[in-house]
Amino acid sequence: MVQTKKLHFIVIDDSKLDCFIAEKIIKNTGKSESIRSFLQAKEALEFVATSHPDEQSHTIILVDIQMPVMNGFEFVEAFEALPTHITAHYTIYVISSSINENDLNRVHNYSSVKQFLNKPLNSNSLTILLQQ
Amino acid sequence: MNTPDKIKVLYIDDEQNNLNGFKATFRFDYTVYIAANTAQAYEHLKAHPDISVVLCDQRMPDKTGAQFYSEMRETYPEPVRMLITGYADIESVIEAVNMGHIFRYIKKPWTDTDIKSAIEEANKFYITNSLLTAKNKELQSAYDELGKFAYSVTHDLRGPLLSVIGALDLAKTMDSLPDLREILGMMDVAVKKLDEFIKNTHEYYNLKRGRLVFEQLDFNNIVNDTAALFRIAGRMDNVRFTSRVIQNEPFISDEISIKIVLNNLFSNAFKFQRKTATDKFVDIDVEVANNTAIILVKDNGIGIQENHINNIFTMFYRATSEAAGSGFGLYNVKDALNKLNGTIEVSSVFNEGTNFKVTIPGKANGAN
Repeated sequence: MVQTKKLHFIVIDDSKLDCFIAEKIIKNTGKSESIRSFLQAKEALEFVATSHPDEQSHTIILVDIQMPVMNGFEFVEAFEALPTHITAHYTIYVISSSINENDLNRVHNYSSVKQFLNKPLNSNSLTILLQQ
Repeated sequence: MNTPDKIKVLYIDDEQNNLNGFKATFRFDYTVYIAANTAQAYEHLKAHPDISVVLCDQRMPDKTGAQFYSEMRETYPEPVRMLITGYADIESVIEAVNMGHIFRYIKKPWTDTDIKSAIEEANKFYITNSLLTAKNKELQSAYDELGKFAYSVTHDLRGPLLSVIGALDLAKTMDSLPDLREILGMMDVAVKKLDEFIKNTHEYYNLKRGRLVFEQLDFNNIVNDTAALFRIAGRMDNVRFTSRVIQNEPFISDEISIKIVLNNLFSNAFKFQRKTATDKFVDIDVEVANNTAIILVKDNGIGIQENHINNIFTMFYRATSEAAGSGFGLYNVKDALNKLNGTIEVSSVFNEGTNFKVTIPGKANGAN
């Protein structure tokens, strides 16, 4: 269903290395129109909030949980408060090194979060994600 | 008891003669507060939270002593409660004892020895209970920290490790040397971050469990030693570092704790510089006078946003994503200073810089 649309990616992680890894892996799939990385969730939120997504495009957001200033959960909450004509064009995946049960369970509370992914991101998990 | 403080006793009775007699008899042995009704009793309890023993007459016009105690213990559970009563009230006394409202009862007419031995026993009970409460609080806070610690381990220890695993995996598919170099550089950062976290954990453990060693300190040496670590690591490059130490008197304190404080404050000052600034500086100013050391660490770095400033001493709190931090540093600083009875103040302007002011009292010579 998504395949006919142009796919864009946003990676939000305070670790430069993790952003770099995600970018490379996404690029290697050859299915991305664009990739943008943010070290700070606040900046990513601002970018999303002021975006004007066109009908043909869809953006996948990969967001880390534990980040200083604004963490992944706070980002998702702020995202869900945005108008639907924006949020409809985004799908969120939470990606984390957390093995804390509270964190894992909390992910289910957010309707905008499609799935929880374990770090490190690899080409397998991304391929599976793109087939959905 | 060796303590110079006398046991604080509150006595409640509606007969003024009894109150006066009680005070006259016991004022040399105890600090005595008297109340003719329960309202006055509450005023004393509020004004003197260290009252350890309360004696109350059972028969009072507004309510019985047992009733007063069942109420009082909601708000003031710590003081040990004793009831003074005649034989006629024995039923209600038994009930009160069984409900746990009172520690013991004293029958009327009492003798001075009865009262004295009761107060001493009650005070022992009070002290034991207070120690237990303090220990429980300590345990609770250790337990809370352990919880935070376990949670952070997954992020701060596992995070960099997983990054490196991911990077290694990716590097296997790479052919271009510049790309490989880039990823190696980033792996280097991740591994160093892990190492810093482990070093901080060690510091934390030393502070929690370590014994303080009090000896004469020379701040010139301490500042130079600490600064040398940063100079060797190349972290002073492009940052103007100035230090000034004025110490004309001996100062006794624990060197390791003070080095932990300085090391973390320096580390933050060098780390959180504005990348584009051309006139970066870190200043340290130490002045020892009147057996007090005042340490000022100033920088013109990124500063701390006002809404984060109250949290910077909290374990694992990070106010910025600008640089790799463990969220441990300032917590350890605060912990070290608590041990030395020292204090720390911070003032900061976002995007302009941060000043830390540390005050450490010297240990009195010869005292322990």
